Amino acid sequence: MATLGFLVAFPLLVAVALMVFRTDSARDPIVIGSAAVIGAASVVCAVQFMNAPTSFAVPYDFSFAGNILSAAIDLFLCGLVLAFALRYRNFAMLVLAIVQFIASIWCASMAIAPEDIMAEPLYIDNLSIIMILIVGLVGSAICIYALGYMKDFQHHEEAEAEKRGEHAPDRRHQFIALMFLFLSGMFIIVISDNMDWLVAGWEITTVCSFLMIGYTRTPEARKSAILQINLNMVGGLAFHIALILIHLVHIPLSIGGLIEVAQSGEAEYLIIPILLLSIAGLTKAAQMPFHRWLLGAMVAPTPTSALLHSSTMVKAGVFLLMKLAPAYLVFPAASVMVVMVGGVTFVLCSFMAITQSNAKRVLAYSTIANLGLISACAGVGIAEAAWAGIFLIIFHTVSKSILFLCVGTVEHRIGSRNIEDMDGLFSRLPRLTRFMMLGILGMVVAPFGMLISKWATLVSFAETGNVVFLILLAFGSAATFFYWAKWLGKLAGVAQKAENVEAGVHKTEWFAIGFIAVLMLGCCVGLPVISLGVVSPYLERVFGSNPQFLGVDNMLIMAVIVAFIAIVFLTPWGRASKKRRVEVYLGGTCTDPDSRRFHGAMGRTMTSVKRNWYMTDIFPEKTVTAVGIIVCGAVILMAFAASFIFNPDVLTGGAFYIERIPRLVGPELPGLLLGIVVFAVVAPVLGCLLDGLDRKVSAHMQGRVGPRLLQPYYDVRKLLAKEQASVNAVDEAYITCAIIFCILAGGMFISGSNLLMCVFLVTLATLFVIIAAYSARSPFADTGADRECLQVMSYEPMLLIMTVGFFAATQSFDVASLLGLDAPIIIQLVPIFLGLLFILTIKLRKSPFDYSYSHHAHQELVKGITTEMEGRTLAKVEIMHWCETVLFLMWTGMFFIWDNPISIVVALVAVAVVWFLEVFIDNNSARTKWQFGLKSAWLVALVVGVVNLFYMLVTPFI
Amino acid sequence: MGYSSKSPWLIHYDGSSCNGCDIEVLDSLTPLYDLERFGIINTGNPKHADIFLVTGAVNHQNMNVVKHIYDQMMEPKVVVACGICACTGGVFRDAYNVIGGVDKAIPVDVYAPGCAVRPETIIDAVLKAVEILDEKAAKLAGNKR
Repeated sequence: MATLGFLVAFPLLVAVALMVFRTDSARDPIVIGSAAVIGAASVVCAVQFMNAPTSFAVPYDFSFAGNILSAAIDLFLCGLVLAFALRYRNFAMLVLAIVQFIASIWCASMAIAPEDIMAEPLYIDNLSIIMILIVGLVGSAICIYALGYMKDFQHHEEAEAEKRGEHAPDRRHQFIALMFLFLSGMFIIVISDNMDWLVAGWEITTVCSFLMIGYTRTPEARKSAILQINLNMVGGLAFHIALILIHLVHIPLSIGGLIEVAQSGEAEYLIIPILLLSIAGLTKAAQMPFHRWLLGAMVAPTPTSALLHSSTMVKAGVFLLMKLAPAYLVFPAASVMVVMVGGVTFVLCSFMAITQSNAKRVLAYSTIANLGLISACAGVGIAEAAWAGIFLIIFHTVSKSILFLCVGTVEHRIGSRNIEDMDGLFSRLPRLTRFMMLGILGMVVAPFGMLISKWATLVSFAETGNVVFLILLAFGSAATFFYWAKWLGKLAGVAQKAENVEAGVHKTEWFAIGFIAVLMLGCCVGLPVISLGVVSPYLERVFGSNPQFLGVDNMLIMAVIVAFIAIVFLTPWGRASKKRRVEVYLGGTCTDPDSRRFHGAMGRTMTSVKRNWYMTDIFPEKTVTAVGIIVCGAVILMAFAASFIFNPDVLTGGAFYIERIPRLVGPELPGLLLGIVVFAVVAPVLGCLLDGLDRKVSAHMQGRVGPRLLQPYYDVRKLLAKEQASVNAVDEAYITCAIIFCILAGGMFISGSNLLMCVFLVTLATLFVIIAAYSARSPFADTGADRECLQVMSYEPMLLIMTVGFFAATQSFDVASLLGLDAPIIIQLVPIFLGLLFILTIKLRKSPFDYSYSHHAHQELVKGITTEMEGRTLAKVEIMHWCETVLFLMWTGMFFIWDNPISIVVALVAVAVVWFLEVFIDNNSARTKWQFGLKSAWLVALVVGVVNLFYMLVTPFI
Repeated sequence: MGYSSKSPWLIHYDGSSCNGCDIEVLDSLTPLYDLERFGIINTGNPKHADIFLVTGAVNHQNMNVVKHIYDQMMEPKVVVACGICACTGGVFRDAYNVIGGVDKAIPVDVYAPGCAVRPETIIDAVLKAVEILDEKAAKLAGNKR
């Protein structure tokens, strides 16, 4: 109890102290010291209450005083907003503020009624502890970061003001004090069980962020701040009305109590309040149609963005939804509303992130999208989804805060937050860029937490038979890959003669970024521990079930991969510094490879410029936003309408879902290792023979004799013996990673382990090939890599749909489960199998979809993604291609396996037919445009996914 | 025991010529002659190529281009001058802008004369080049040890 009090009160004291001591020399030690104290206190609190959920009984007078104080804070803040509304002469803000003021007064008058004083207004459990750790560790690290950042910021402001002949006042003390006030508000939210108290913290965060967004006092900042407060007041208003309604029916205002009431006979009183509370949560979590405040908030100094959008403000929204999660099992209208809003937001914001070149806007859209995913997880209301949601919260916080902090520092170093200007950052800001790349990997790829959590999301939605959401998830994830991969590519480019401009980065900034990076790696490596030790007990208690998604062995393998990736990025391992350096290929002659200048026609020196892909014509931001706002707005209105139309029995009838607990039938660690070894030995041999056969058969189709069967083997042997040279020191290391991941994926598959992880690992391998190509900064390789990203985006939805189909047919993600089936899964999954055949052509880089690379003669991209790879590196790419071919063909083969030895023969025949078909298509079609590839692949995935998953997941309910 | 000779990938560059030899080179890459039988692939990328087929003479404009492509090829590598212009400058040798054969720019390993050079000559020259490639590869491997 004392610890909790300290956590709330201490940041307040610090804020006051910061307002008093305004010099840099006093501020730095105060902030660093108190951030350390807050961090330590949150750890102490976590240790104290871990796995010991506690309600704190307080004396009546204290509780009463708390209620009065919260009501006072609430009213004061409403008054403050009203004053600002008058000052800014904003009509909407004024109206909202007046309405909210009235609601607050009403609410306050009931909050201080003696019968509503709670005996135990504070409550802490593992979820609160996770939030306390996030706020206490990440939040205070961001405060430390702000010290160095704001020095640069102020310096910049003064320089700008001087140009205009003005003076820029130093208001940094207010800014940093607000940050501490904010932390205090967050602590109130996460530890209050009494919702009258919670709403005070809620309003503190709203108003603080309003002030922080408006910090620069420019017209743009003011506009964004007003937008923020207006939208959040809608949420605040919903919160207040919910409280008033609950007060009116005399249900105690305890969040924990609400859940109990929801599961009792009085549930019908809570139909509307739960809807309203959900709206409050969705607003704070910046979900459509309220998402625009988060985009506007990007004008604020970066610590604001980092604090608001990674660790605190938006997390308060999803925290509330997460707390309400068990209630969504009771109230279908609220559940559908939250899931649909979250799902639609996820997919549309992922699309829009593709079209952005401003790094902070990409981060903003990605934040909104991920919060959508978390909200949707909460909305499902079952334990599996909650598991996913909690891990999404953790990993999103650490990855995103690293990214925000890095982008902020980079902006001060290079004077731009445009992703295009981050070209060659790998050499200009080497350490910072590596942290950034780590952050991006944390957001997008297996085995980092984000993807594991997405996986759990997939399972939970398969359980509830929510086909629409599964499809949204599949497409949103594909888009996510695309925008992260292209950014990663920009960062990865290695410039030979770049100037290192990292010297001016403040120590405080390094500390914050490094600290959060360590936290992130810790969370990834410690995932099994967190899952078993912290999250499972929470789920056990709240939901009464303890989901097991994947075996501990799988988690161990992931931890090893994380460590491996960290080594590749953060240490000099694999840097071939002895190799001869060669220039990039620029067709004619290259005059200056670093700036990509070459001798063009007529003796002119030309520069080759390459920009990222934004696809603004496919995903126009305005239209997509409009669609999102209309759809999500309609969903919310329909949820309310439903609450009035249907009778309470239906509305409290609970969600219907079929318990589909994934069976874990995969092998133990020794089996896995054996599988990996076998695959590593057999797949290259088989793949090599297949490749030779492919060339032979192709030659015959073209009326030629063709090469020897072992030709691919000779090619690779030759490449291995060639001189070692490269355009940079890193590309071979990336390719080595790719081949290792590919072999791991294959090993997992043949040992009968997790199919989804196999799919993710293949994607990871492809990502590393893409990074290797981007690292050359060659126009041909870059374009090839862009197209490879596009290909991944095209086929990824189908792969996810395939795995869900597999799960629905076998009740397991483990490939070994096939051996226990009465009939092969092809019987149920014909459409998905056909869809897989379609994308197989893309995955094998066969015509008509050989955009990124072609084994045929000249194409416009020279050799596309492999243009800058030579000798041993190219040999490794070839070997990886063999392994991939074998693995993909096995994917098609698995559709024909059942509990019968004959099935192996059937599968082999099927694989042979599929393979021949692919070769035939390759030889009889011309390359199409990428637009066709993307659209057709998505259309196929959509049709096949909807038809087959509907059949698989929804028929059990009928 | 040479793998280079089993998998000679080539890049083709046409200097200042009448394009006759150029056409002949492309002809010899058609399915009729089926060069893939010998593992030959026309890569179009110097970084992947082992054999550099040059047709036409070298002039002041393309001198650096030829050198640049040659520099970007990895050892072991072999240059084949296809056609009389590539060998000596041919009928263009006295033109004001022409410097001469390819050997003025880079070391040439095999000369394949002819105006225009016949596909049979090209194939002969490439097979000769492949032998040299193996020798060079063996030397490179020896140096490594």
